[in-house]
Amino acid sequence: MLISPALHEDRGMTEIKPETVPYIASYRAGVDTAEPAWLQARRQAAIEQFSALGFPSRRDEAWRFTNLRPLTKAPKLPALEGVSRPDPTSEGIEALSFPGAPHRLVLNNSSIVPALSSVANLPDGVWFGSVTDALESRPELLKSAFDAADLAGNQPFAALNAAMFKGGFLLALEPGVSIDAPFEIIHVNADATSHVRCAILLGAGASATVMESFTGTGAGWNNIVTWVELDAAAKLRHVKVQTESQDAIHLSLTRATLARAAGYDSTVLSFGALLSREDIQVALTGEGADFTLNGAYLLGGQQEANFAPIVAHQVPGCTSRQIVKGVVGGQAHGVFLGSIRVFPGADQTDARQTNRNLLLNTGASVDTKPELEILADDVKCSHGATIGDLDDAALFYLQARGIDTVMARRMLVEAFAADVIDASGAPAPIREHLHSQLSAWLERLP
Amino acid sequence: MTNLLEIHDLHARLTGGRDILKGINLTVKAGEVHAIMGPNGAGKSTLSSVLAGKPGYEVTAGHILYQGTDLAGLPPDERARNGIFLAFQYPVEIPGVNNMYFLRAALNAVRKQRGIAELDAAQFLKAVKAKLNLLDISDDLLKRAVNVGFSGGEKKRNEIFQMAMLEPALAILDETDSGLDIDALRAVANGVNRLRDPGRAIVMITHYQRLLDYIEPDFVHVLADGKIVASGDKTLATDLEERGYAHLASAA
Repeated sequence: MLISPALHEDRGMTEIKPETVPYIASYRAGVDTAEPAWLQARRQAAIEQFSALGFPSRRDEAWRFTNLRPLTKAPKLPALEGVSRPDPTSEGIEALSFPGAPHRLVLNNSSIVPALSSVANLPDGVWFGSVTDALESRPELLKSAFDAADLAGNQPFAALNAAMFKGGFLLALEPGVSIDAPFEIIHVNADATSHVRCAILLGAGASATVMESFTGTGAGWNNIVTWVELDAAAKLRHVKVQTESQDAIHLSLTRATLARAAGYDSTVLSFGALLSREDIQVALTGEGADFTLNGAYLLGGQQEANFAPIVAHQVPGCTSRQIVKGVVGGQAHGVFLGSIRVFPGADQTDARQTNRNLLLNTGASVDTKPELEILADDVKCSHGATIGDLDDAALFYLQARGIDTVMARRMLVEAFAADVIDASGAPAPIREHLHSQLSAWLERLP
Repeated sequence: MTNLLEIHDLHARLTGGRDILKGINLTVKAGEVHAIMGPNGAGKSTLSSVLAGKPGYEVTAGHILYQGTDLAGLPPDERARNGIFLAFQYPVEIPGVNNMYFLRAALNAVRKQRGIAELDAAQFLKAVKAKLNLLDISDDLLKRAVNVGFSGGEKKRNEIFQMAMLEPALAILDETDSGLDIDALRAVANGVNRLRDPGRAIVMITHYQRLLDYIEPDFVHVLADGKIVASGDKTLATDLEERGYAHLASAA
């Protein structure tokens, strides 16, 4: 595999990490000269960034508990042009889809499936569709969102995504536009490598609900980057359900920037994937901004899930609430690496972060590390983590009333996990949808 | 007529510990109410735990026949579905599990075992209303999580309410009077009395005689150091109240 010397001619001192070589070749094979020059330049910069960073290792604090072996043991490259996968059927996505969503986008390995999508007849002031369509009709929206998104910091997978993405979705609301009905995006990954690029941009005072679900088959890799930008007083409810194949890899980075009095309410339920990671990085940049995270990972078998929310309180008077719960059975591994950073001068910060875990058997394990970094004086911050087993006394009580062991365990696990859904404050139909996803998982609990 | 419960020379202990029950013999027929009294440490709660099949206990000798079948090795949920009910001394709080949801799951498990159709939500609600009226219990207990935030009296009433719903053949009341003031005790006892039935046996385990003023037993047994050392009718309890357990324990 040959690398063009031109690729790194301006940074001759930078070493190309050997594991990135096949990825660079794949990138070069996929360069689309019809793309706008700015985008080609960005992709070029991003692949250079990736080749210099390489894969994270356990020496990186943010990745010390993550077993990346499923990803690193062999290169996972996108299929060549012309290799198509059959589109999902409406029956195939039925269990995941939210009945109350009038606007829906179905993405098959990041490309839109028109037959299953409904993005026509959008309300005034709303743009919703695939990133490829956005590139045609509203390139300026993408440009602003992508410039800041991922070249900063130690983010190799975000850089690889920027270099390689072929699809994704974009939702943009003009200032003052409020839409109650959810926008739904169903991502289907059929045994492929997909770099998925998404953006949610709400103008001042706009409000929206986005419901994303991820499903698939086989040992694919979904590498998702989502850019969220909320202007003053904009409100976003973002609900994500991840039920990928038990052999898949799901790496998701969400970067959100909140202006004054903006509100970002995120609910994430991770059921699927062999290896999954939710990096949720939120910058509170305007006074009175508010971030809420209700998350849960529910694991069995050989699964591993990582939740790594980082909340930066950059200015005074912002609030954040995070609760992430883990239910870990089999030989599975849960990881929580949460961080709250309060910048100098960010007084009247009110930030809380909790991670609670339930281990279902002795082979299951959890690493949890909630962190606070406070550089302001007048703040209210708390964090904590717990790891426990099912309550034997409660289990016996249920059994003593005739409820069999399997059912009794399910009831206790459901009680533990369900308050993440109930605490989300989502409207009842959405909560019911999430409860039904949880119930489906509990049905399979041994 | 077959005895509902026969306990023969029962020895039992906490797994790996020393025997706490050291040869219990007891026969209970349907329709009877038995009181088992005894000082602290006599083995009263161990007996109720072993009857209900609580994990962590082991039978080292003897056996328990229920409806003619040996209970050995039968898990607690199967015992419950077969009609054995334990009213807990300390009912367990279960956050996040709604009382109604829990009780409907329990009732339907029991009904399924008995070959009766399971109840849907509306039918269940109707059955609940009927029992609430019978026991004079307010329905706000049902809207909460199982036992969470209940007062001591509410917890015990909830136990008796569950018993009313599940209609067991054998009810074991473990120190049901403990922690109750006199009004709560009277309310709980009235509930139990309404559940007396020719087809149902009740075994009350208690430290104090006062419960027996409200629920009149057919038989009274004294348990001391893991054995039943005296049996008689309700006058035995009055006798104990006057003389205490000491003379019986030393006789054992």
